[in-house]
Amino acid sequence: MTIALVLAALLAVLAVAFVARPFLREPAPVSDRLDELSEPERRRLELAEERDRALEALKELEFDHRTGKVSDDDYRLLVGPLRRRAAETLRALEPRAEARHERITSSH
Amino acid sequence: MIALSVAAALAVFILYTSVAGAGTPQLQPSDLAVHSQGDIMLVGTVVGSPAGDAHAAGGLHFVLKDAKGKHTAARVPVSYTGTVPDLFRTGREVVVEGTLRNGTFVAKPGTLSTKCPSKYAPAPAKKST
Amino acid sequence: MAALGRAALLLSFGLIAYALVAGSFAAWKRRRRLALSAQNALIAAFGTTVVAALVLWTALWRHDFSFVYVADHTSRTLPLGYRLSAFWSGQEGSLLLWLVVLTGYSALAVWLNRRTRDLVVWVVPMLAGISTFFVFMLCFISSPFTTAAAPADGAGMNVSLQNPYMLAHPPLLYLGYVGLSIPFAFAMGALLSRRTDERWIVVTRRWTLAAWTFLGVGQLVGSHWAYVEIGWGGYYAWDPVENAALMPWLAATAFLHSVMIQEKRGMLKVWNMVLVALAFNLSIFGTFLTRSGVINSIHSFAQSSIGSWFLGFIVICVVFSVGLIYLRLPLLRTKTKLESLVSREATFLYNNLLLVALCLTILWGVMFPVLTQAVRGETRSVSKPYYNFFLHSFGLPLLLLMGIGPLVAWRRASLRALGKTFLIPAIASVVTGGTLIALGYGSSIPGLLAYTFGAFVAASIALEFVRGTRARHSLSGGSWLGALVELVGRNRRRYGGYIVHASILMLAIGIAGSSAYQTVRERGLHQGQSMEVAGYTLTYERLQTRQEANAVATRAVVDVSRGGSHVTTLYPGKNDYPVEQQVSNEVSIYHDPRNLGDLFTIADQIDKNGTLFLKVLNKPLVNLVWGAGFLFVFGALVAMWPDAVEQRKLAERYAPGAAAA
Repeated sequence: MTIALVLAALLAVLAVAFVARPFLREPAPVSDRLDELSEPERRRLELAEERDRALEALKELEFDHRTGKVSDDDYRLLVGPLRRRAAETLRALEPRAEARHERITSSH
Repeated sequence: MIALSVAAALAVFILYTSVAGAGTPQLQPSDLAVHSQGDIMLVGTVVGSPAGDAHAAGGLHFVLKDAKGKHTAARVPVSYTGTVPDLFRTGREVVVEGTLRNGTFVAKPGTLSTKCPSKYAPAPAKKST
Repeated sequence: MAALGRAALLLSFGLIAYALVAGSFAAWKRRRRLALSAQNALIAAFGTTVVAALVLWTALWRHDFSFVYVADHTSRTLPLGYRLSAFWSGQEGSLLLWLVVLTGYSALAVWLNRRTRDLVVWVVPMLAGISTFFVFMLCFISSPFTTAAAPADGAGMNVSLQNPYMLAHPPLLYLGYVGLSIPFAFAMGALLSRRTDERWIVVTRRWTLAAWTFLGVGQLVGSHWAYVEIGWGGYYAWDPVENAALMPWLAATAFLHSVMIQEKRGMLKVWNMVLVALAFNLSIFGTFLTRSGVINSIHSFAQSSIGSWFLGFIVICVVFSVGLIYLRLPLLRTKTKLESLVSREATFLYNNLLLVALCLTILWGVMFPVLTQAVRGETRSVSKPYYNFFLHSFGLPLLLLMGIGPLVAWRRASLRALGKTFLIPAIASVVTGGTLIALGYGSSIPGLLAYTFGAFVAASIALEFVRGTRARHSLSGGSWLGALVELVGRNRRRYGGYIVHASILMLAIGIAGSSAYQTVRERGLHQGQSMEVAGYTLTYERLQTRQEANAVATRAVVDVSRGGSHVTTLYPGKNDYPVEQQVSNEVSIYHDPRNLGDLFTIADQIDKNGTLFLKVLNKPLVNLVWGAGFLFVFGALVAMWPDAVEQRKLAERYAPGAAAA
């Protein structure tokens, strides 16, 4: 019975310590604010996903064409718009990269 | 999309019920006084001593009473042929399908199944497949 | 020691409640340290729950009958393996198992994704919310740690549960059921954090696949138990408790497919939210059905009040899911539309429609008694004919779609291209169908359709592998085998998926053969008499009685021969357990290599004068059902296998500020 109590007490202490850890490690932090994604970051993420989607679609089209699922005619029809879409998304992401690069180089 | 799925399910369902009828009533022995027509799934507890042989011509005869509820006086004699589940005995809750004929519930062969008395243990003898 | 168990569970309760309240507050008010603290609390709850579990296991090991649970579910003669598995053979223990798995999964999921702070900050209170219900039940309603004066011996375990398949069935099933909580929590977390990107899908992809696989295997193991242990000759009876696991599995299957469309085309965001909520809510509903006595099922557990608690929890979950999805609807709208009704996206959509329709009709069938009671005052129920009708109506087209889907291109497929790719599979199915009709298989239309469609699917999958290997080979040379391995390695999800489809095909063929084309015969035999079943002659030779450890085993010696020559001897019979006062049915099965099926014998009744009522079933192809399980797991593993190339790409996509590098 007493062993049980001791173990339970030990467990409780460990649990509380683990829960309190963030406060114990940083009693007076510079910022306690939880960062969330800013608008530009959200937009970039969406664009990155769109870019990956477009590139993936191109890859699949190539593969489907090579394995004979998509005929030559269909391939010619579909590949143009897909390539354009991919290029668009790549371009959309670049200005952000440029802008961020400028910010970093200017702050140094 | 959601609407389409529900519509699809409902459409086929309506088709089925219009063809096959809407389910079999699940009744207790006390209900048979009121509802006695057609195919019925009878749920009840076995009382007394079952007699006879489910594999012989005469069949197995046992009596059922209500498994739950207030009408514990009602009794229905059942006549059954077919597979008898291992757990079948006096005091077990059973389910059997059939029709009421002249006061005796004549069961469809092989439709007797028992509910296990304890938690977590199924033990039926069912129709094949 | 029970005090330690109770204390550990109370600690879990405190930690989980803290994670819920503090976590929600931290997410709402954007407090970093509090969020971290809540995260730690959720992880710590796993630790304390494991301690509670260890206490129960120790008590089971040591025959500590002062634990009411141990006394109720084990006995001194129960072998160690079953003593330990008694952990989950009862209500309280199985709830504890659920909590162990839930807190374990939660801790792992949160830890692995701790860097996606703005998503995890909401996932923590979500998972804590779900866990709160289970830990509350364990602490205050249904505790495994109640004690009483220890009896001399326990009540023992129901004999039909003392079977290795039944030992494995609940843990496997729970790893599946509970696993569905993770994608659900991340989905709701994404909605709460107003994130519109696909991160939650990407990080939960493998969780969903793993949970789905466990749920599928768990069901297969359960059916196999029913087949060999209960032994009525079948493996699925459409009992509410069986359906309880099938429904979330179907919803999860639909979800698995439609998230692929969201990833590829950015469509169906609302639909995916609905599906993941449906799968999760059905998993809770499933365990509710199994535990409460609400549906008159032969599997129903005690008619306890636990049902009402579960019902309350389900209502909260459903209201929450629907409400949140509705509130965030504007966030989920996309402009992308379906370009063509003849495209791979469209076949995925049809697949989803069929799966959800099947799921809903099963749900309707399960709820029918409750609904009719409420509406008409009279309980009515549906049974096998109802379920089989819908299984055929929805399942057979689904089978065919499995073969069509891979052959259709994304976005838009021209009919001419389809004609070319469909040609070989179509020929395969027509030839198969014609041959089968000629051989007399037209006796069952659903069976014939299953086989014919199956041929289409088999050809389609085989062609995918052949075409892919050929293309790979022409690119990189080397051996054909090397090309195949490389092909699969580079497209794990696609080809793993095809392997899983092949396993489902195997399952479908096995089910079709063993139900549509089975033969059943029942005869009363005196010693020396024979009966004929599907070309086999079975002769009842004599009875033998044997005393086993805890039972009297009576067996009928049945000689099986075919065409005059001896094939095997079967021993169907019964076991009489004097202590437990139970008789169990012991079937005897011959695995027939000729048709990959079984010759299944049941000693229905053994009279005192030695007359044997023998029931024999010939079930062609039934072993494909079990074999499918292995292929299923293999395919799922291939699809789940970590891909370094993919991981790199995803890291680059989601790493903050990576574009600047």
